[in-house]
Amino acid sequence: MIDPLFLEGIIKVLFVFVLISAGLIISTRNLSSVLTTYTIQSFLLSAVSFLLYMIDGKGQLLLLAGLTLASKVILIPYFISRIEEKIKIGRDLHFAYLEPTPSLLLSIGLILLSYTFLSRVFEGLPLSRLFFFGAVIGLSLTLMGMLVMFSRKKVITKALGYLSMENGVLMFGLFVTELPFIIEVLIIIDLIILVMLTTILAVGMDSSIEEYRQKFRKLQIWTGVESL
Amino acid sequence: MIRYYLLVMGIFLALGLIPKSHRLMNALAAGNGLLHLVMSCTALLMFDLPGRLGESLYLDHLNLYVELITALGFSAAAFYARGYTDSLMEAGELDPKNLKTFYLAFNLLLVTSTVALFSDNLALFWIFAELTTVCAAMLVAILSARENIDAALKYVFIVSGAMLFAFLGLVFLFTLSEQTLGEGTLNWTVLAVHASEFSPALLLASFTFTFIGFGAKAGVAPFHTWLPDAYARAPSVSAILSGLMQNLGIYGIIRMYALLRESSAAPQASSILIAAGVFSIALASFSMFQQRNLKRLIAFSSVEHMGLLLIGIGIGTPIALFWTLYYMLVHILVKETLLFSAGILHRQYRSNMRENMKDVFKLQPMAAWCLILGSIAIVGMPPFPLFPAKYFILLESAIVSPYMTLAVLLMLILAAASFANFLLKAFSKVTVEEENEKEEHRHITRTPAGTGENAKELSTGKAGYEKSRLAGQYMVKDGMKVPTIFMLALALALGFYFPDSLRDLLDAIILELGYV
Repeated sequence: MIDPLFLEGIIKVLFVFVLISAGLIISTRNLSSVLTTYTIQSFLLSAVSFLLYMIDGKGQLLLLAGLTLASKVILIPYFISRIEEKIKIGRDLHFAYLEPTPSLLLSIGLILLSYTFLSRVFEGLPLSRLFFFGAVIGLSLTLMGMLVMFSRKKVITKALGYLSMENGVLMFGLFVTELPFIIEVLIIIDLIILVMLTTILAVGMDSSIEEYRQKFRKLQIWTGVESL
Repeated sequence: MIRYYLLVMGIFLALGLIPKSHRLMNALAAGNGLLHLVMSCTALLMFDLPGRLGESLYLDHLNLYVELITALGFSAAAFYARGYTDSLMEAGELDPKNLKTFYLAFNLLLVTSTVALFSDNLALFWIFAELTTVCAAMLVAILSARENIDAALKYVFIVSGAMLFAFLGLVFLFTLSEQTLGEGTLNWTVLAVHASEFSPALLLASFTFTFIGFGAKAGVAPFHTWLPDAYARAPSVSAILSGLMQNLGIYGIIRMYALLRESSAAPQASSILIAAGVFSIALASFSMFQQRNLKRLIAFSSVEHMGLLLIGIGIGTPIALFWTLYYMLVHILVKETLLFSAGILHRQYRSNMRENMKDVFKLQPMAAWCLILGSIAIVGMPPFPLFPAKYFILLESAIVSPYMTLAVLLMLILAAASFANFLLKAFSKVTVEEENEKEEHRHITRTPAGTGENAKELSTGKAGYEKSRLAGQYMVKDGMKVPTIFMLALALALGFYFPDSLRDLLDAIILELGYV
């Protein structure tokens, strides 16, 4: 049996890596690197859940780790990479409201915000230090994912931001409480449907292929603004 | 029970994929709507409420009432959809290959929203509400035009992103119940019993997070930004359905607020709701002013009404809730009338913009009148039923602050003025009569002899002119006229007569939510 304290130490190290991955998603311009970062982030989450299983010994956590691995490390990234190949753009250069550096500064602020908020809310709860930090990291990850959705222009990156947000929610749920396993499964299913829908739609929006552009330009009467 | 329902509906939807004719697909969709309408009516009359169906389904007056509204809206939309999609296909805007997807998403939307409404477990509600977003986004994107896809993506990202916050709120709630009851649960019925024992601070945090999610679903400012795009760019039918889904968000908020009512955090929650409500109304009424796009005007009017509903919930008195619930029903009736008519006008002019509309009364008299009457209804003029609803909500809001009542009233007047402004400018444009007169003059000079002949000639000349001018007229199918007039007539009837059964139903909801 491995010493639980040692495992907790590893989990704390993983927390740091999770935050770094969130920062990278905010600032990286290369689309395939964003996807790789997301995959690593999901893998980290799966590892955290596995380590928690080693500490607690609850079978549900092991199932969750397996589910995360199958869906978020393998299935969803594979699907998105197929789409990325299809639309033939490698980089997401434009940022809508915030350039990477201010957004990184802002995300530090968000981490502090979630720390202060949660330390006030969880005052009366018997949460251990580790679990409290897990919740803080989860909430910050959610907020940073939201930042990605705001500041990125390409739909694929937005979708990855949403996915990273969802990772944060999952992490928050993992450390604060134990949700019934069926709910976790349903969330994953919901996520897969959503990712499929948005990425398929993204083919129409992000594509640099002229053929697609032509096809979509044809129907511009719906804007109302530049209509007939 | 939920499994049986999903199984039956799954088979139904799979069957719906088989037929090739549009008529059959449409009939199935209309049948689906009517089936749910009949089912909820039967449940309302036959069941001992509140009751349970199996482990996860819970029936009470509130969710049956909302289901009734949803099914009614769906059935009307299904009847309207046939003529509308036909004309979209004729114009080459909708790919006939996408028609099956359209009806699949259409039916799926009703099924998922039904499960969401009747599920006792809030997590289940959350997941199915998410699925309704996916279906509704599919309906918005159905034309596969760039703008549509843009609007659909905006819809998905904003609502789903906000819904993730709602999920965080549910995690809070779960922790709370675990702490108090020993075993975690998200069943609303259990939570409602024990809500007063929960810690107020955590309960408020949970409420705030869920409010973000459900508020985005309902299109409340500042999470409303998806709404104008979805309304203006999507085909009318899709816009109607997204509009119906707003009620789902309001439903979630009512449920969450009912949990909080007993705890000491209720005043803070009320202020959140009222602040968001006032902000929505303010933002919407200023955006409506000088709005030139008809569907955007209607969309912002939706935001405004959601704001008023939030104020109604936030006041927290039984009377305010009574009229809020009533408002949900009549708002859908009138809003559908408006969107149906706007859809007809869009088919006519291929544009939603004010400056493109001309000779509206000549070309589309029915749509024009429905739009006028609908606008009168939506701004809350008697005899339409929104008048008492608005009146009593505003009257109750004076309990919170009379200044707020005054401010809201002024903003409502601004919204009403925007409607009047739009209608006056759009509908008063008539093709200049000079040409007409010139033509008459020519006829007269050509046949100076015989006044009788002259008159005859004149009339044929006029008729010919009329014909040439009406050549571009869009022929509205009966299937599109009937639901438009039906919804308006229903709204008008409710304005004159308040059925006792409806009053009993609303009273029962208030009683069940623990307001009295």
